[in-house]
Amino acid sequence: MIFSRITKAALDQFRSSLQIRAVVYTVALSGTALIVLGGVLSVSIGNGLFSRKTEQAVIESNRAKFTVSRLFEGVSSQGSWRLEQVLDEVVQELESIGVSQTRQVAFLHSATQPNPKNLSSPTSAGIDLTLITPDFRKLVTSSVGLQTRTVQVIRGGESTPAVLIGQKFTLPGGHNYELYLVYDMYNEQQSLLFVQRTLVLGGFITLMIIGFFSYLVTRWLVRPVQEAADASEVLASGDLDRRLAVRGTDVAAVLATSFNHMADSLQEKITAMDELSKMQQRFVSDVSHELRTPLTTMKLAADYLYDNKEGLPEFSKRSIVNLHGQMDRFDLLLADLLEISRYDAEGVEPVFEVHDLNGIVGVCLAAIQPFADSKNVYLEADIPSGAVQCEVDSRRIERILNNLMTNAIEHGEGKPVVIRVAQNDKAVAVSVTDNGIGMNQQELVQVFDRFWRADPSRKRTTGGTGLGLAISLEDAQLHLGQLEVTAEPGKGACFRLTIPKRHDVTNFESPLPLSVHSA
Amino acid sequence: MFKILIVEDDDALREQLEIGLMASGFEVCHASTGTEAVPAFEKNKPDLILLDLMLPGKNGIEICTEIRKNSGVPIIMLTARTDDTDMIRGLEAGADDYVTKPYKIEVLVSRIKARLRPLKEVLHPIIKIGSIEMDTLSHEVRKGDKKIALTPLEFKLLLTLASHPNEVFSREMLLEQVWEYTYKADTRLVNVHVQRLRSKIEDDQEDPKLVLTVRGWGYKAGPE
Repeated sequence: MIFSRITKAALDQFRSSLQIRAVVYTVALSGTALIVLGGVLSVSIGNGLFSRKTEQAVIESNRAKFTVSRLFEGVSSQGSWRLEQVLDEVVQELESIGVSQTRQVAFLHSATQPNPKNLSSPTSAGIDLTLITPDFRKLVTSSVGLQTRTVQVIRGGESTPAVLIGQKFTLPGGHNYELYLVYDMYNEQQSLLFVQRTLVLGGFITLMIIGFFSYLVTRWLVRPVQEAADASEVLASGDLDRRLAVRGTDVAAVLATSFNHMADSLQEKITAMDELSKMQQRFVSDVSHELRTPLTTMKLAADYLYDNKEGLPEFSKRSIVNLHGQMDRFDLLLADLLEISRYDAEGVEPVFEVHDLNGIVGVCLAAIQPFADSKNVYLEADIPSGAVQCEVDSRRIERILNNLMTNAIEHGEGKPVVIRVAQNDKAVAVSVTDNGIGMNQQELVQVFDRFWRADPSRKRTTGGTGLGLAISLEDAQLHLGQLEVTAEPGKGACFRLTIPKRHDVTNFESPLPLSVHSA
Repeated sequence: MFKILIVEDDDALREQLEIGLMASGFEVCHASTGTEAVPAFEKNKPDLILLDLMLPGKNGIEICTEIRKNSGVPIIMLTARTDDTDMIRGLEAGADDYVTKPYKIEVLVSRIKARLRPLKEVLHPIIKIGSIEMDTLSHEVRKGDKKIALTPLEFKLLLTLASHPNEVFSREMLLEQVWEYTYKADTRLVNVHVQRLRSKIEDDQEDPKLVLTVRGWGYKAGPE
């Protein structure tokens, strides 16, 4: 379990990190190269050692030939006793000449010749005579000069390659003898082993160093890419001033330059669009402000006329009533325009204070009651006993609720409208549910858009400005709250406002359901 | 009959205002530029000033500051911009209240009347708060031997708080009792005027001892 998890983590790391992958590949490839190199070296060193040893053995064997010849000089005339005596010396003499310490000697009476005097065949102690096969003896006796053969001997409990060299001698008295010298390669074998061990260790260390260097190099190479990635992230998160440092003239510098180029043009475009949008917002704001002075004059005049309309001709009177009514509508529209442009300019300064939501809802209900009565709509309030404390800008909450209730009554088709209040430990909520015409999916998406109307063909009765829900949504968001809606065509709509109890809390759930069926 | 000075540069609006106010029973005089405002005030000695903030010559805030140097005459700002910084600066300069355009004449008249209404009779003619002594008959305020000049609004604000020492007044309550707003109004009116009041009566404005803030609730008059 743990193992597989670690493997998985390592695999993930491997897949996700370009650098780790580069290092792993470099080490694997260099490792392969080192193994091939080590193998070739080991074989060629082994061969070298072996052939040198063989050459040396041949030279020594030639020297041995003279040694043996010298030993037997002058023993020709004497009897077989003397011969026997010299024979005894041969092995000792041959074991001690030359530089090779590891030499074994066998001086054998030729097997093809009768041995009537029963002359001895002296050998070194511990020599394995089975090495000298009848085949080889036949080869030696039938040829002139040295015969060489590679054999395996046991040395120090290990099998070691050795060179077996044979040559024939004719001793005084016509005795045919064969001299066999065994040069084992124990020392060479040890040297080779040592070299191989060194090669492995050296290869391993080299591999580590290659790994480390490739890590450094890839890090150096990957760094500009990583920096570009980080900078893109920063750029995407909105910090348009972020740029890369350009160093040198290599491909990394090209990357940095291009990246900066891209960031520049991006910033230019975004700034231009920002400015355009700000200009438009400013324009709306300026226009609205400029309209206020003439509007005030017109309103004062219309009010005065309205208050003094009695006694005027009927047409004048009706005109004055219309003028007066439309001035009020103009006033509302302008107020909403100003409010939304204030939100656009982020110039809104809410006043958060602790209020009882029940109280605010009560005020709104009382204010809307006359309108509900005029539409024959029954307002049903489901309000918890006890205070529902929350930190809000009460003026804005009232504005939202007034808006929702007005809409519900307008679109409620005379059926009851239910207003619910509830709280949990983090948030408070009000829902306004009607049983009226409702909305379809497309309308639900657009309902908070500016100047959007549920049904353009429907007769306007309250003369709302078309900005009500857009402002309500901004008001709710100002409280870090949510204004949500659900609806079904023909069944009604439910708007739910959820506000955190403290205006710095962001994770909360609404204590009320969002459903038209709860009506 | 109360005389009202209208400082407004838009001729049509000024005339319509004059019609509305005269119809409501006020006597009116006017100034149409910023520079004319103070001389018109000194000449006509109005009971109240309606002051537009955006004026040619001298802006409303400067005029306000100048008049407040030696007069507590009620000043109501008429603002086209709900640009809050201008409005707050006007209040800080000494304006008592503000009305944003477009306004109804009834609203404006009720604001004017609230500012002109005499103080209610109080049980004790002398009210003390800390080292401050308020004479409710002569409207004189003394701190020890020193006379302090409060505007009628500041006097009413301090009197309201000091009549019920240690009782907490929410900003809404103060708006209702001092400014006579019957419906929701801008609670910053209270904040700004409490600051102005403190600057006149407290020893250390940063560490008030007389008019105390009750966080999340409002204000109260300090311990006797």
